[in-house]
Amino acid sequence: MAHRYILAVDYEKCTGCHLCELACSIKYYGVVNPYLSRITIITKPEIQASTPVFCLQCNDALCARACPANAIYFDEKTGAWLIDYNKCIGCRECVYACPFGAISLTVKAEPIKCDLCGGDPECVKVCPHGAIFYGPEYEVVRKLKKGKSVGIVYEVLEKGVEVPAGNRVKEAEEAVKTLYRIWEERKKLNI
Amino acid sequence: MYGWGGKVIYVDLTREKVVVQPLSETEAKMYLGGRGLNSYRLFKMVKPGIDPLSPENVLCLANGVLAGTALSMTSRTEISSLSPLSGILGDGNAGGDFSAILKHAGYDQIVITGRASKPKYIWIEDDTVEIRDAGDLWGLKVGEMVDTLRDIHGDDIAVAGIGPAGEHLVRFATTMIDKYHSGARGTGAVWGSKNLKAIAVRGTRGVEIADPEAFFKLAKEDEEWFKKNEFVKKIYSVIGTHYGLLAWYPGWKYFEKYLGPEELPEGIRPVDLAKYEVGRTQCFSCPVSCKDVYKLPRWNEYGVSSEFESIYALGANNAITDTEAILKMEQMADEYGMDVITLGDTLAMAKFLYEKGIITDTDTGGIPLKWGDAETQIKLIEMIAYREGFGNKLAEGYRNFAKIIGPEALKYSYDVKGLSRGWYHVDFLNGIFTLAHATSTRGADHLRGRSWAYWENDRNMDPELPLKLLEGGLPDYRKDPVGALIVSERACTLTDSIGRCKGSINSWPQAIPLVWKYPLFKGLAKLLTAATGYEFTEEKLVEIADRIYLIEMAFNVRQGIKKKHYAVPFPPEIINTPKIQAEIKRHWEMVDEYLKRRGCDVETAVPKRETLRKLGIEWVADEIENKEFPEWDGPPLWPLDKYPRGR
Repeated sequence: MAHRYILAVDYEKCTGCHLCELACSIKYYGVVNPYLSRITIITKPEIQASTPVFCLQCNDALCARACPANAIYFDEKTGAWLIDYNKCIGCRECVYACPFGAISLTVKAEPIKCDLCGGDPECVKVCPHGAIFYGPEYEVVRKLKKGKSVGIVYEVLEKGVEVPAGNRVKEAEEAVKTLYRIWEERKKLNI
Repeated sequence: MYGWGGKVIYVDLTREKVVVQPLSETEAKMYLGGRGLNSYRLFKMVKPGIDPLSPENVLCLANGVLAGTALSMTSRTEISSLSPLSGILGDGNAGGDFSAILKHAGYDQIVITGRASKPKYIWIEDDTVEIRDAGDLWGLKVGEMVDTLRDIHGDDIAVAGIGPAGEHLVRFATTMIDKYHSGARGTGAVWGSKNLKAIAVRGTRGVEIADPEAFFKLAKEDEEWFKKNEFVKKIYSVIGTHYGLLAWYPGWKYFEKYLGPEELPEGIRPVDLAKYEVGRTQCFSCPVSCKDVYKLPRWNEYGVSSEFESIYALGANNAITDTEAILKMEQMADEYGMDVITLGDTLAMAKFLYEKGIITDTDTGGIPLKWGDAETQIKLIEMIAYREGFGNKLAEGYRNFAKIIGPEALKYSYDVKGLSRGWYHVDFLNGIFTLAHATSTRGADHLRGRSWAYWENDRNMDPELPLKLLEGGLPDYRKDPVGALIVSERACTLTDSIGRCKGSINSWPQAIPLVWKYPLFKGLAKLLTAATGYEFTEEKLVEIADRIYLIEMAFNVRQGIKKKHYAVPFPPEIINTPKIQAEIKRHWEMVDEYLKRRGCDVETAVPKRETLRKLGIEWVADEIENKEFPEWDGPPLWPLDKYPRGR
């Protein structure tokens, strides 16, 4: 059996710039509007917690179970739960059923959710900090391993993530070194 | 309208009336938005000679044409008013989410007049605009205020508002956006004088783009460059503007000297600041995370965005090297809503005057003002925000503070048109620093043209960029400083008017998108055409920029700015040295040349009718020609007991 592809996020890397939201709404609606995005960023900058909320493509999807019209189905090819808009009756049950709040509504009350862009997610491409990954399950989970639980989403919302100061100082030292190097290079050009 | 939100909100707080009007197409095309639209509106609505803290003053907030579109770094809100700090045009430019969300609600500008009888806040949700009671919010610090509003309206709102400093009419109180982003020049006190605490907005409409395909292709190209650039990725996204501590020669002990990279004392080096950092953040739609999130173990508190300016003004210039205390002061300035540069420079000046014996313990109420005394400074900052004791005098802000102390103190006020010069380089860079400080339309400032004129950061970002710019027609500051400055002033004006950031990396590519590819403004013209559907060209953009700049100059002429106010001060101790005298002589030659090229009268510094006619704003000439305006001497100051004081 082929590996399932999943979309995942490293909460420590997300800085909350909202560019993924904009890219998502542009791709599907041609307008810039975070409310028409299938990915939503919840930010608490003071504790460095930016939490992208999007469909996690559950194994047992409560939205599909809740749908009275059976409009939500699993697409084997992309590994995404999709909405069949021909069947959808617009009752919003899926929105209420999702424990993560990952389904949004358009102004016409159509439910919208992440469909993994058919296997080529726009948000992954636009993220300036490489916080969103897409790939085979094993590879993505491997990238997220850092001695903590992968499912820290609730914890992050409550307390935020703190990166140990030691790392920051090292990064800052590197930055200063780079700066001096650039200055050295610049001297040669004499401008 | 594509690109623009298409509507302007007028709020009359005295009558508690809200009127929403469509943005006129002509105004939009002539002034774009943001700073352009604000300066135009202020010129039309503010009568010359009024008290900035009276109900007649007008407060404008505007976002800019490309705000909230997917072009990166378009997160700036421009807040403009007649400044209570300087008494001339005062505008602050702040980041955060406010600008984009206001655009997504469908608005380009908010114009506020009058004075409410009780504290109020304005709630905007798409088509709903309401004036609401702010009794519970009044008195809250900025963080608490934003949290309370988020509890009421939800966490997807953006908030602009003031802290206790604004309420107490501190003359350098700022407009705070989403807790941590501040727009200076004293606009916060204008909110306070109008009894307006905050504006909260939710927008769910989004922005429509005329030619989405072309626009997003250009926007993506632009962003890719920032994602790949080494300087942005490895320096600015890691230490942000702290990099300036090494590159920009921060002043030490009220500009006694300027610290080179090797002279920085322990405590204010970028690596020392990194010890308190717990994460990084940025504004809406920005790929550069220039802002740090820091933790203060001593106080068990968090703060966001300690910029170069806060470290230099509150720290180095006051000879304070206690890293955590400096960060605490920065966080307090955010919480109370004060501008860190004016705050730090005023405190440093007070210490300097105390040392000289010009102010004594009688003035300070027994508080000793010592260099490097962080604890007292923290106390003083709180006293300023609530105008308590000696804080009441300091709250008048830099030049005004010196003015109430007396002429002996005023000699040491290094300001242009009421704004502190802040730091300036030891080398005079062919006079461009002094000239740029003198010609800025809001007083001495580094974001009106200076940094761009001599490629301050461009050389670090891409050493070949300056060469490309020269090929593209940018005058070389080494040969033609006046020409270089005028082009840079145009660039900054356009950037402020499209709503893009000038602060996060201080360089041409960010100020004028696609600059590395198309000479100067051609890339921007392409983006604007694609976004709005109107035909923009490089020539048209230059005309727009000049129109905005001259309207601002005309505004200041009405406030009494004469040619003599283009003077740049130097410390009295060095002013008679041959080096400085030569510098000053050269400065006045350049001012003449500047005024000539800007199309102003060289003797009076008043824009000429024929220049204004060419720019399609001859009506401005009727307002300023052959009229006598009382000479500027700062804003009218109130008797100190008339201000709201205490908690």
